[in-house]
Amino acid sequence: MIRLVTLSEFPPDVIDFVSRRLHAAYGMGSELEGEGEIPSAAFDDEHSAYDAVKAVEEMDDDVTLYADDKILYLTSEPLTAAEGPMGRGPVDGYAQYGGGKAIVTSHGLSDKGVPLDVGLAKRAAHYVGHLWDLHHCFDPRCVMHPGWSPGFAAYPEVALCLFDREKSERKIKLGSS
Amino acid sequence: MATKIPEPVIGDGSLHVGDRVVYPNQGICRITGVETKQIAGQNWEVVTLSREEDGATVMVPKGKVMGIGLRKVADVAAIDRVFDELSTPNTDPQLDWKVRHRENADRMTGGGLFGTVEVLKGLHALSRVRPLPQKERELYDNARHLLVGEIAAAMNIPLHVAEDNLDYALWPPEGMKRKGRPLPPATLGPPSPARVVTGDDDDLGFEDEELGTGETAVVPGAPAAAEQPEEESDEEEEKPVPAPAAKKAVEKAAEKEKPKAAHRHEAPAAKKQKPSHPPAKKPAPPKKAAAKKPAAKHPAKKAAPAKRPAAKASAKGKR
Repeated sequence: MIRLVTLSEFPPDVIDFVSRRLHAAYGMGSELEGEGEIPSAAFDDEHSAYDAVKAVEEMDDDVTLYADDKILYLTSEPLTAAEGPMGRGPVDGYAQYGGGKAIVTSHGLSDKGVPLDVGLAKRAAHYVGHLWDLHHCFDPRCVMHPGWSPGFAAYPEVALCLFDREKSERKIKLGSS
Repeated sequence: MATKIPEPVIGDGSLHVGDRVVYPNQGICRITGVETKQIAGQNWEVVTLSREEDGATVMVPKGKVMGIGLRKVADVAAIDRVFDELSTPNTDPQLDWKVRHRENADRMTGGGLFGTVEVLKGLHALSRVRPLPQKERELYDNARHLLVGEIAAAMNIPLHVAEDNLDYALWPPEGMKRKGRPLPPATLGPPSPARVVTGDDDDLGFEDEELGTGETAVVPGAPAAAEQPEEESDEEEEKPVPAPAAKKAVEKAAEKEKPKAAHRHEAPAAKKQKPSHPPAKKPAPPKKAAAKKPAAKHPAKKAAPAKRPAAKASAKGKR
């Protein structure tokens, strides 16, 4: 089960759309678990954004996860991440690879000209994919394609490529066993 | 007086118990010890490793440690050179699949960190020209998995940050620079061969679960047909043309195969009364499809989506 927790206000139809698309992409149940608050300790003053890694690790929620449950936090706040070897780049979420928690932001979708529901669903499916150990994909139509590349706005469908679809199915089966 | 137990020599002596190492086919591991195991009546000295991503124990015969390409996790300076290499675009992918296959196999096992980088870079460049065949797609994913794990381990950063940085080099976002040099922003690459996407939200109705839902319901079927020819045409470039008798036999087999394939693709579409799927980019001649694909493969793939759990009731109830 993919449990959604909103950390900002989202229209109900957007959450419904995200939930349906996650179900369609992974064949798992997806539901709105409730609302939460992004931890203020995760705010990075220097970049006027929340540190995505800290936000997930320090999240104080009472969501109970069973077996292969995944939890996805949805926010509209800007996110940032630690500087890597290439410096700082665009950050639209964070996922614990092979773990249980991920966060996704809708921040910056309007700049790309992508509708809120489609953009958020694509990002949500992308980070849930990382929770299933999926890596980035070169196919611009696949949701695992990096979110900053032109493929994100060019292809509105929320779908996995065949390879990622099969890989996620294998992982889900292993997880539930 | 305590006697110091001599530390076992592993490989060429550069590896020690407790070291984090890269095992080409397993990922990042930690050496946990050297043990003697009795296997098939013989005593074998094995190096035991614990795979970091899932804690699985891997045992390698001591004498084969260097042969399998086991090596220490790279240092930060080497990772820096990896990013220099990754951010230099490769515009000349190896197009001969035989050469590519041999080179990539050697690089993955014995090429070390930069061998893995070359595999990833080469396949990435090729993917910008045309979609990768299934086996190379798997190799691309393996190379990426190893590299992401090693970057994260070497730099002590989360896997997610490591992968994002790797792709800042491969698919540079606007304004990305490497050591002061601006990188050309990523352009739109070719999508995988056509697949059916409805794009209609209402088509995701959960009543379709038995056949798979909406746009993704057709994903397992459509691209399978579309991607396979790529691989086959790729791998069979230099195969001799079959003799006329054999040709007839495979054509007959292809005739038998046809209705199954059609049934597989039409099932979801027929239910939704949608127009037929767009044709695959490069349809393979039926003889090749019949020769390569065993019939038993199809029902297994078709059956997979039906196993998905239903969950709408609980999701809706909560909202």
